Amino acid sequence: MLNKSIVRLAIPVAAGALVLTACGGDDDGGDGGGGGTTYKIAFQGPLSGTNVALGENMENGIQLAINEANGSGDYDFTVEYVAADDQGVETQATAAAQSAIDDQDVMAVVGPAFSGPANVSAPLYAQAMLPAVSSSATDPTLTEDGKFATFLRAVPNDNAQGLAMADFLAAQDGIESVMIVDDVTPYGEGLAEVAESEMTAAGLSVERQSVPADTVDYSGAARTVTEAGVDALIYAGYYEALGPFAIRLQEAGYEGIRISGDGSNDDEFINLAGDAAEGWHLTCPCTDATENEGTAAFAETYEAEFGLAPGTYSAESYDVTNMIIEAMAELGGDVSREALYQQLAGTEYEGLTKTFAFDENGEFTNTAIFMYQVEDGVRGYLGGVDELVGG
Amino acid sequence: MSLSDIWDVLVLGVVLGSLYAVIAIGYTLVYGVLQLLNFAHSEVFMAGGFGGVIALTIFEPATDPSGLQSALYVLLGILGGALLGGLVAFGLEKGAYRPLRRRHASRLIFLITAIGASFFLYNLAGKMFGRYPMPMPTMYENKQVFEVFGTSVNVTQLLIVVAAVLMLLTVDFVVNRTKMGSGIRAVAQDPEVASLMGVDIDKVVSRTFVLGGVMGGVAGFLFGTNLQVEYTMGFLPGITAFAAAVLGGIGNVRGAMLGGLTLGVVEAFTVEWFGDAWRYAGAFAVLVLVLMFRPTGILGERVGRTA
Repeated sequence: MLNKSIVRLAIPVAAGALVLTACGGDDDGGDGGGGGTTYKIAFQGPLSGTNVALGENMENGIQLAINEANGSGDYDFTVEYVAADDQGVETQATAAAQSAIDDQDVMAVVGPAFSGPANVSAPLYAQAMLPAVSSSATDPTLTEDGKFATFLRAVPNDNAQGLAMADFLAAQDGIESVMIVDDVTPYGEGLAEVAESEMTAAGLSVERQSVPADTVDYSGAARTVTEAGVDALIYAGYYEALGPFAIRLQEAGYEGIRISGDGSNDDEFINLAGDAAEGWHLTCPCTDATENEGTAAFAETYEAEFGLAPGTYSAESYDVTNMIIEAMAELGGDVSREALYQQLAGTEYEGLTKTFAFDENGEFTNTAIFMYQVEDGVRGYLGGVDELVGG
Repeated sequence: MSLSDIWDVLVLGVVLGSLYAVIAIGYTLVYGVLQLLNFAHSEVFMAGGFGGVIALTIFEPATDPSGLQSALYVLLGILGGALLGGLVAFGLEKGAYRPLRRRHASRLIFLITAIGASFFLYNLAGKMFGRYPMPMPTMYENKQVFEVFGTSVNVTQLLIVVAAVLMLLTVDFVVNRTKMGSGIRAVAQDPEVASLMGVDIDKVVSRTFVLGGVMGGVAGFLFGTNLQVEYTMGFLPGITAFAAAVLGGIGNVRGAMLGGLTLGVVEAFTVEWFGDAWRYAGAFAVLVLVLMFRPTGILGERVGRTA
């Protein structure tokens, strides 16, 4: 009796188990047959926190690239997007990088977006042999002696931006003295250092001031600038701090040439500073996606998808993502993190914004910098600095 | 450094210092009645900033407002900040601290709760309003109002100092001259005896939080007008104002005012002489020095019950 009832129970259980495992097998097989294997591309950048606007610009660009690749039917694999939010700060960088590394399907990372977190995350990526391609971390030291084995910089570094600022100022009439204000972040200090040495070399007299990005009052800093009576002012930092600083400068009556870098090259700057943003020059290794012929179609699709115009580094992130997908395709069915890195390091990819190629340290080989200026509440695109200075 | 330079820096210091003073009142009042370091007060301040933005966004200011219109908008912003600040402080006391008092929790638990409430509130604000800075809507043209010894004072600066002085006078009056104030002072001196004498402790504590919260909220609105509003905006001014309360003598309302003004002025001169990167180094060096020689702060603690 007892035995019988066990058998009676056991049969359906066993049968059920068989069916279940069979189903599981079928599921895997179904995936393989339909969209091929799935590879993930992670993005490490500020998806929350104070600099979220810059992070979202890039995230949208990446997602657009991935959606288009999946929809095109050109590839026998599917690409999936993974977010690794580092809030743009060093303290979150380890956790963000680790989350990408731990996911074995992640084959490449776009980012880290900011230089500070990049310094923390890049060694981890190197250990995991996970390629990290940043379209925006511009601190020159990141690629020194190729110290991070899998880090590729897909953007001209701050040396190029500092040099462009110096060239631009030197070409203006009557500019003799300049004050460089940094925000005490690795990005700001790095850019300020470079700008200082380039401007000293160009024969300008240079003063420095450091104002932490979270300062409670910019009046003192603005006062120091006006009291110094310098002909030009460089701000090396991000838009969220430049907003209130620009307002104080306007109130203090500062009228010299004002330049900031790619960290401030965002429409949020104009939103925060209002009238005080007028006249600010903004340099960027990024082109204006809406103005450039190559990226005009991209800008349209982007706007249709996300309901707003592409921002700083949107197009660049789109390019970088496509470059990674392209490299995956070239590897055929044999994509591993290490193989993908080798493929990317040797690539020469023609993107919408520029041609992407890297030297043996993972440094970008193209150094074009572009100039913007705020006019009537809009960031106007002036063109390449080389052309502006040359012409 | 010429006399006009000194005036320039002094004005900046007084503006910042009066904000610190108003925030510090919130810390010191609550410490007075509960011996609680209410670290969530920085979030009450932050809520005030958003309260101002919300009020002004609902009644969207016309472009380039001036005159009476401007005054109305400023009043609206102040009300918005006061309302949200007071509400958050009220909720904080009711939701976080009162249950602990009922259970006679230890002071350590109050402190941890305060820190937890602070984290909760600013992350909630980040979720609700977005984690990016936003400007205070324009209420007036920020032009020069008058000059003192060659130093120009603009509308925002004047507004901050005048509002702060009015609030400080009011709170001083309320605490020292009104029935509510004698309740607060009685509870601060000895809660048990106060309750035996018929003082409703819960009511007094709740009102103390709201009073501090309204002040903190208005300070948040004023601070946001001077800088910008952001979910993390409470942290640094909050810590500095707490230091100001300690500097003046925690639990002591006039001490908090003095401490706030002192720290603001010290910060302004530190920035002038050593640069902005040294701002807190200067202010906190003064704090440490004062506490070395006067451990109870400049005016001394005024808490009936010593800890």
